Amino acid sequence: MKKRINILKIMRVLLALFVFAAITFLFIDFTGKSDHFSWLAHMQLIPAILAGMGGIVIVLLLLTFLFGRIYCSVICPFGILQDILERITTFRMKKKKRKTRYRYAKPQNKLRYILLAAIVILFFAGTTRPLLLLDPYSNFGRIATNIFAPVYVGLNNLAEFILLKFNNYSLYHQRVYAVLSSVLFSAAVFIAIGIAVHMRGRIFCNTLCPTGAILSLVSRYSIFRLSFDKEACNQCGLCEKGCKAQCIDSKEKSIDASRCVDCFNCISACSKGGMQYRFVNPFSKKKSVGKVEKKAPEKANSRRAFIATSATIAGTLPLLSVKGADKEKELIDHSKPILPPGAISRKHFDKNCTACHLCVAKCPNHVIKPATFQFGAGYLLKPHITYEHGFCNYECTICSEVCPNHAIEPLTKEEKKLVQVGIAEFIKELCIVYTEGTDCGACSEHCPTQAVHMVPYEGTLTIPKMEQELCIGCGGCEYICPARPVRAINVIAKEVQGTAKVPVVEEHKEVEVDDFGF
Amino acid sequence: MRFTMKAVFVFRGLFNNTPKTMKRRDFLKSGVMAGVAASTLSFSKLDAALSKNEVLVEEAPDLVAVMGGEPDVMLQKALESLGGIGKYVKKGQSVVIKPNIGWDKTPELAANTNPKLVAELVKQCFAAGAKKVTVFDHTCNEWKQCYTNSGIEKAVKDAGGTIVPGNDEVYYSEVKLPNAVKMKEAKIHKALIDADVWFNVPVLKNHGGAKMTIAMKNYMGIVWDRGYFHQNDLQQCIADACTWSKKPVLNIVDAYRVMRQNGPQGKSAADVSELKTLIVSPDIVAVDAAAVKFFNQVQKMDMDAVSHIGTGAKMKLGTQDLDKLNIKRIRI
Repeated sequence: MKKRINILKIMRVLLALFVFAAITFLFIDFTGKSDHFSWLAHMQLIPAILAGMGGIVIVLLLLTFLFGRIYCSVICPFGILQDILERITTFRMKKKKRKTRYRYAKPQNKLRYILLAAIVILFFAGTTRPLLLLDPYSNFGRIATNIFAPVYVGLNNLAEFILLKFNNYSLYHQRVYAVLSSVLFSAAVFIAIGIAVHMRGRIFCNTLCPTGAILSLVSRYSIFRLSFDKEACNQCGLCEKGCKAQCIDSKEKSIDASRCVDCFNCISACSKGGMQYRFVNPFSKKKSVGKVEKKAPEKANSRRAFIATSATIAGTLPLLSVKGADKEKELIDHSKPILPPGAISRKHFDKNCTACHLCVAKCPNHVIKPATFQFGAGYLLKPHITYEHGFCNYECTICSEVCPNHAIEPLTKEEKKLVQVGIAEFIKELCIVYTEGTDCGACSEHCPTQAVHMVPYEGTLTIPKMEQELCIGCGGCEYICPARPVRAINVIAKEVQGTAKVPVVEEHKEVEVDDFGF
Repeated sequence: MRFTMKAVFVFRGLFNNTPKTMKRRDFLKSGVMAGVAASTLSFSKLDAALSKNEVLVEEAPDLVAVMGGEPDVMLQKALESLGGIGKYVKKGQSVVIKPNIGWDKTPELAANTNPKLVAELVKQCFAAGAKKVTVFDHTCNEWKQCYTNSGIEKAVKDAGGTIVPGNDEVYYSEVKLPNAVKMKEAKIHKALIDADVWFNVPVLKNHGGAKMTIAMKNYMGIVWDRGYFHQNDLQQCIADACTWSKKPVLNIVDAYRVMRQNGPQGKSAADVSELKTLIVSPDIVAVDAAAVKFFNQVQKMDMDAVSHIGTGAKMKLGTQDLDKLNIKRIRI
């Protein structure tokens, strides 16, 4: 048996590892060094469709038409994650066993196309929820943000703690920000996909995944594809047993190109050179796809696996019904989520956001958090702004830059400085200046537009005064307000984001001083 | 009040060779001062001085104000007149510089201490033989953006100093403030606790809450829990923070660019005036009082409104009575 070098597979693995490392770094990095990798998020299919990035969509579809579902093996981080998980879960297996784990399975075409149709119909009916749950990129994003990032930050802090003992400040401490419901949900998906990939390979990609379903419609006509060299093939079945997409039928010598993810493992599996990646006339009569298979040896099994996968996902939902702290802040209306600047309106955000959590991961002030049930079940996992641990930086537009879905539309700094995500409301009776009779002014100090400014009160004391049309709802005032248990100034969300009045720019007057004054 | 008699200030060519840049009034003033000082000198030194055609003035000023130069030049002049950096930093010491880096603003907007001033001070410390020079602030805006956009991170690194984070409670340790009225204990940045000497380097600004932020208010950035100040009488807590036993060797107030209004953050460049001044003193109350008087020339500010200064004087942190101080005024 001579060993051939499978250059296609080597290229696939190298590219996949690069993409996976880069996009994971994009999600877990907190130092701002990863921002130039955000193009990897922008070239994901579902986000590009939602953002209306026609160019990217066409390129991806063309790529698939030319070469098959390469996307699923080297661009989709959830696909690569599955390959990595498969490798990890089979690590202790003997090589021979590892390479012969799969059998051909019948396509679940009805299921995947009905599901795709349902997602499309529901999207136009106004709900993005099924897409949010099934989009592979968003699932990866949630796993990276809610599981990988906290682990990464934890390791950073450990290293930082040790270095600090030696008076070394080269790393810095970072707080671990995590919302329990999102962590549990992501962990459940992570475990479920691990089990699914271990048992049935790319079953998710070929049944539930909307991206996989869309691409499969094109890849069944792809020009370059894997195909049997019928002379060389001796029907040993090793290609079939090594196919994680379970799309090779070695008896029939056919490959279901709609399910093949171009991993090229089959090329390595065949010692006879019986598997070739080559030009095939996609419209020739002898289609290798869509045939109604006579035999379905693992029919029962595949259904079981699918049910198991869905049940695992569905089964985690009740776990998440941990009640948020409802009793706090009865005085203040926090019933509506504050949307990131550029989200335009609740309607626009509901439609476009698939909760990939990239904004959550990238917000340098950690004010964007995934929701639990505080805004209703329909808003579960979606990002909203909370000023508990920080406030939205006046000069920062990162969330609008990174959002691949354009759920947060790109904003220039000047535009962002006028976007009203909410309006602060001042309650004088709770203010320190009123209750304690001492100076404070923390809110005004943090207000970038001076929408809240200090006006004379008693004696030399000054007290905050609000000018709502100047307020952009950045939350500087709310975050810093020292009044407790309820803050004296709070941002109330705007359902439709408004535009603040441009602060009056005063004339710069030249001031000359040539005395010290003392 | 502190007199440091060991400091020697040399007026070169006071009797002839007068620098052309020296104004007449200054010349007369220094002449009088030198005369007063000279009369207190021992004769042996006077003889030596006369033989070298120099006069030694043995008394370092309590407060130095410099006007009309670039930040680095003004600092050099001020330190020179105080007796040189070597008076404050000894060989092998670790030094902390605490500027104001509170906001994500560029140097032109004067919300943070001038980076040129910080850089020059770092260089001076190293010139005096400092082992390590560390800079930090507990910022209001996101700390990395503040460090970068203030220009201070780059300035410090270029000068060979180290800039360290102050964004997390892990960097702070609790200290007792037995002489405080309200804030009897506070968590203070470990870099400062470990340092041999430190410099307090604020920028002169209007402030919505404290009325003014100068040297005393700059102490808020060495403490972890800023909210405590606001909850428990801001003005008193500012004075309380300044009671910490480890005092800065100098308070160096940057008034190169001054935020007259809408402080401490400012709205635009219209809030800022370029006044090209530096006020330096080991006495934190005096330096703040002087700075308020200076500020009052461009924007009305009542000393009583900035009540932490008066409170500081009452708590014997320094003197508000500038007339009793030996003040040196330098114009460039």
